[in-house]
Amino acid sequence: MTRVAVVGIGHSRFGRRTDVNIGELAFESIKQAIDDAGVERRDIGNVVVGSAGGWYEESLPAVVVGEYAGLSGAGTMRVEAACASGSAAVKAAYNSILSGETEVAMAVGVEKMTEVDSPTSVELIGRAGSYTWEFENYGMTFPAYYALYAVAHMNQFGTTQEDLARVSVKAHRYGASNPLAHFQKEITLEKAMGSQMVAWPLKLYDACPLSDGSATVVLASEEAAKKLTDTPVWIRGVGYSSDTANLSRRGNYVGLRAAVEAAARAYAMAKVSPGDIDVATAHDCFTIAELMAYEDLGFCKKGEGAKMVREGETELGGRIPVNLDGGLKAKGHPIGATGVSMAVEITKQLRGEAGRRQAQIKKGLGLTHNIGGTGHYAYVTVYSRD
Amino acid sequence: MSEAPALHSRRPLTLRFDIPISRTHEFWDSLRTGRFVTTKCSKCGNVSFPPQSDCSRCMGSEFHWVDLGQGATLVTYTQVMTVPASFSAEGSYTVAIAEFRGGVKVLAWLEGVRAEDATPGMKLKVEARTRSDGSPYYVFVPA
Repeated sequence: MTRVAVVGIGHSRFGRRTDVNIGELAFESIKQAIDDAGVERRDIGNVVVGSAGGWYEESLPAVVVGEYAGLSGAGTMRVEAACASGSAAVKAAYNSILSGETEVAMAVGVEKMTEVDSPTSVELIGRAGSYTWEFENYGMTFPAYYALYAVAHMNQFGTTQEDLARVSVKAHRYGASNPLAHFQKEITLEKAMGSQMVAWPLKLYDACPLSDGSATVVLASEEAAKKLTDTPVWIRGVGYSSDTANLSRRGNYVGLRAAVEAAARAYAMAKVSPGDIDVATAHDCFTIAELMAYEDLGFCKKGEGAKMVREGETELGGRIPVNLDGGLKAKGHPIGATGVSMAVEITKQLRGEAGRRQAQIKKGLGLTHNIGGTGHYAYVTVYSRD
Repeated sequence: MSEAPALHSRRPLTLRFDIPISRTHEFWDSLRTGRFVTTKCSKCGNVSFPPQSDCSRCMGSEFHWVDLGQGATLVTYTQVMTVPASFSAEGSYTVAIAEFRGGVKVLAWLEGVRAEDATPGMKLKVEARTRSDGSPYYVFVPA
């Protein structure tokens, strides 16, 4: 079986991008990734587009983006795994190389969330899960779903609102060093704690923003990668899982079962353990989600996520630095782009190209943890320099 | 900062779904009479909520209705402050997940308790409500 490497990366500026439409936004990262990989567009056999959609005008983003970037003719499809659509796109592109269908494939993550007003975006995300049983009569929102987890975690383990605010402060600290982030300003604990409540006990600064953005990776087979680059970053383990649509059917509200299973599968495939990981991105759509991610990934024991952030273990220089790009909280969370953005960040880190926010790479291993919905989908991917 | 030039689309889209409930309408019919029922698989005995006509455990398609009673205990909760566009008339509301005897869990609004004053394990009961258009729904209230 061939191995598959990331050989090219591209990343747009994330934020409120009223200056570009969906095609223009995707083009920004596609062009960078093609230039970075040094491939010809005609050699890309499969272009997988991760986009949740619904908040921008185009119904078929894969062909719209393909036409705009001159990629028409390649095999293509749009994939949806909610906020994990980007990782699902990477996985689909990876599979098309593993299967021998193509030597080079591309995963594009793109989302344009600010063409509709914010209450409509809140509505569209809130409908994700079980429309009939949890939205139609009860108006659930995305922050409200994660608040159900936060309250359970606080009641069971003593996690506090201040612990959650610490995650936000950390995210903004690194966002300030990322020129592509939606928010590039540091914040204080007081500012986070004093922000407006959106779904008690989660506040505005516990929540990622509505962002526009795109990210692209070019993947290649081992043979093609060796011709294209001296710095391939290999996909060593891919784990994925899912959970129930209805939150009421979950076993507990202190962790995401799908994430635990996805992580176990990714570690097993890569033959590594959590302690081997040099740097990671975790899906911090809400601050509580990052704390649960530490636990679900085995970076600490269940219930000790807050302790990790209190003790700075996931800071630059800590035991396992997490979200040195600012995370979803500060970098922004253009739904379909996020998973690909994580792949771009870990590739930069493993190549040693992350500048001021470069982690120390000892074992050459990075990890992405990308969750769709409220733990509905989970993708964990292990990347390696060797 | 002025807004960037934009083409404001003139073709708004309204989506209203007719969601089939032919096989599970008894849930809503019972709710109108104040009974909170759900489906139980006749083959393997799996009790489902939400109700479903096919069993997700054994894949059997024969089922009967069972009464879940009224009492439930509070598992987790939140108060929604920023509400979706279609709930803008509702203001803020508290949402809870509560567990019935036998382990079935249900998500619904919690009336009469602010989230900050709620505690896990609180005894609740489920009550039927009717909207102004006559459509039934259910809420939790303190027991």
